[in-house]
Amino acid sequence: MVESIKTELGAALQGVEIAEANYLERGYHLSLEVASGELLNAARFFDERGFYLAAIVCVDYREYLELVYLFANHASLCKVKVTLKVDPAKPVAPTISAIFDCAYWHEREIREFYGVLFDGHPNMTYLFLHDGIDFYPLRKEQIPVTDDDKRALGSFRPGEGEDTFFVNLGPQHPSTHGVLRVVLKMDGEYIEEAQPVLGYLHRMHEKMAENRSYLQFLPNTGRMDYLGPMAFNLGYVTAVERLCGIPVPDRANCVRVIATELNRISSHLLWLGAYLADLGALTPFLFVFDDREQINDILEGITGSRLTYCYFRFGGLYNDVEEAFIAGTKAFIERMRSRFSLYEKLVGGNVIFINRTRGIGVITKERARKQAVSGPVLRGAGIPMDMRKTEPCAAYGEMDFDVPVGTRGDALDIYHVRIREMENALKIIEQALARLPEGPVMAEKAPKKLKPPKGDLYHTVETPRGELGIYIVSDESDKPYRMKWRVPSFSNLMIFPELAKGNLLADAVAILGSLDLVIPEIDR
Amino acid sequence: MEKVLDLARANSIWPLTFGLACCAIEMMSSAMSRFDLDRFGAGVFRASPRQADLMIVTGTVTKKMAPVLTTLYDQMPSPKWVIAMGNCAISGGPFVFEGQYNVIEGVDLLVPVDVYVPGCPPRPEGLLEGFLKLEEKITGTRRFPGPESRW
Repeated sequence: MVESIKTELGAALQGVEIAEANYLERGYHLSLEVASGELLNAARFFDERGFYLAAIVCVDYREYLELVYLFANHASLCKVKVTLKVDPAKPVAPTISAIFDCAYWHEREIREFYGVLFDGHPNMTYLFLHDGIDFYPLRKEQIPVTDDDKRALGSFRPGEGEDTFFVNLGPQHPSTHGVLRVVLKMDGEYIEEAQPVLGYLHRMHEKMAENRSYLQFLPNTGRMDYLGPMAFNLGYVTAVERLCGIPVPDRANCVRVIATELNRISSHLLWLGAYLADLGALTPFLFVFDDREQINDILEGITGSRLTYCYFRFGGLYNDVEEAFIAGTKAFIERMRSRFSLYEKLVGGNVIFINRTRGIGVITKERARKQAVSGPVLRGAGIPMDMRKTEPCAAYGEMDFDVPVGTRGDALDIYHVRIREMENALKIIEQALARLPEGPVMAEKAPKKLKPPKGDLYHTVETPRGELGIYIVSDESDKPYRMKWRVPSFSNLMIFPELAKGNLLADAVAILGSLDLVIPEIDR
Repeated sequence: MEKVLDLARANSIWPLTFGLACCAIEMMSSAMSRFDLDRFGAGVFRASPRQADLMIVTGTVTKKMAPVLTTLYDQMPSPKWVIAMGNCAISGGPFVFEGQYNVIEGVDLLVPVDVYVPGCPPRPEGLLEGFLKLEEKITGTRRFPGPESRW
């Protein structure tokens, strides 16, 4: 695949130099630099060959701003980095939101954090930041926002039609699971347009990353996605280990898998409870918290915390697991197996639940690719893509598990995918427990002070919500030069406006819940 | 008369369902079966501020969220109380650093706070203790002997 893409790309873009990168070190196979005139051609090229746009990253190198477009493919492992240099004094770039719909959101984000103007973008208003901020936060030097920009940016102000009115869903609403705000343009009970407004929990994680050392940033990962902190922890430590070339002992890798999968189950359980609560069934909430507490007990024994775990370290683990953990996990597997039939009776076979979710929020494969959704939402649409299979980190490569997919792509399918994913997670835990080797849990030569070699890396892991991508640029100092988090909830939310369109308000809640959003992760 | 009313208030606190961040999950945990906030009469979470008399600020308050939070507080009928749960609500927590541009360093800059519950996030037991402290503040007497008396 990589070879054929390289030759075809060479033919399509005359005069552009295509470099092959070391995938193990860099996380992408090909990289090329284009001029702004050729960007659209490149984007069209990838669109025609079924690629999706994983992320757009902006990096401020002081002399120039670099826009990094990361393309990846659902069918096979082939990642391409396309870069475009823009002038920092007057940053303008063409928009590719007409080709890849998800670029619409990424470009808005870059606009407010870097001040890059995207030529032809339909809506350049503030997405994350509040009114009245007077500099571009992620630029290396403090650049004031010009008055023209302030006027152009402004925060979202809905316009009103004759027969329509607006409903604010959030930021204080029990079914947005946090502080997400969606402005709905309503025609009676039907939604004409949905416009998410983000940033109510923007906690500056990316800015913090540039201000602290690699180790100091580690606790932040657990606070970004508080329902699946293990997966975020895992993503971050494996990314830095890949960047610095730190080996990890076998035992640590196995424990990492067990802990991450336990956390995946607890995250899916909470989703199940909260989703059903959104739909009006409060009983499952009590049941899932019962199971969740068991997982919390097990993980508390090894990590010391109930929620925002920070258990993995560069080169291994914080501490070893003991017999109590292994026995507890085995007992939990037994217990959980018997609970699935209960959930099936309580939820899966419930006529009200089925009728509320079937045929609601149908995602087609094509739309899923254009909007770059990932995780259970993508698998619900029928694309069997799982980072644990395609790019296994820790000991995932040695585990045998299925990737459940849906057939219709509606909210009910996503529910079934998540339930089957929990069953598979139990399977993975069982295998990992069976082959848990003896030995150290920390690499012997793990350096105390990390100074990764110069270069960049795009590293992905599968979190409970989907593809987490971490793009790190290192400049050989002990702090990252730039760290971009491509978070799954942000990408999954992008598809919500088109799913909600034409639906009833009550169904919009059912769709929003099925996406399983975690707001601090979207806002970072 | 006021004493009787206070007793009634303290034993039937209705908190507002106001989840901001990580601490909200621990707030849910404390309301669920294991920790059972209902034992203290405080399990009736209301989604509307008009029906609530306690606001638990569970997480980081950003500059964009601040006006929303004060509006919600203003909408609650008196007498009303506020618990600042977690380090973020108390002081900005781990998100305070030089040059930060988006976090309010403590919710007490916006609304008066009655009880502070530290932790990142606090355990449900911590929040329960916060509730007991709040009851103590309302009635003047404590329901159980405090944790100090045991040691």
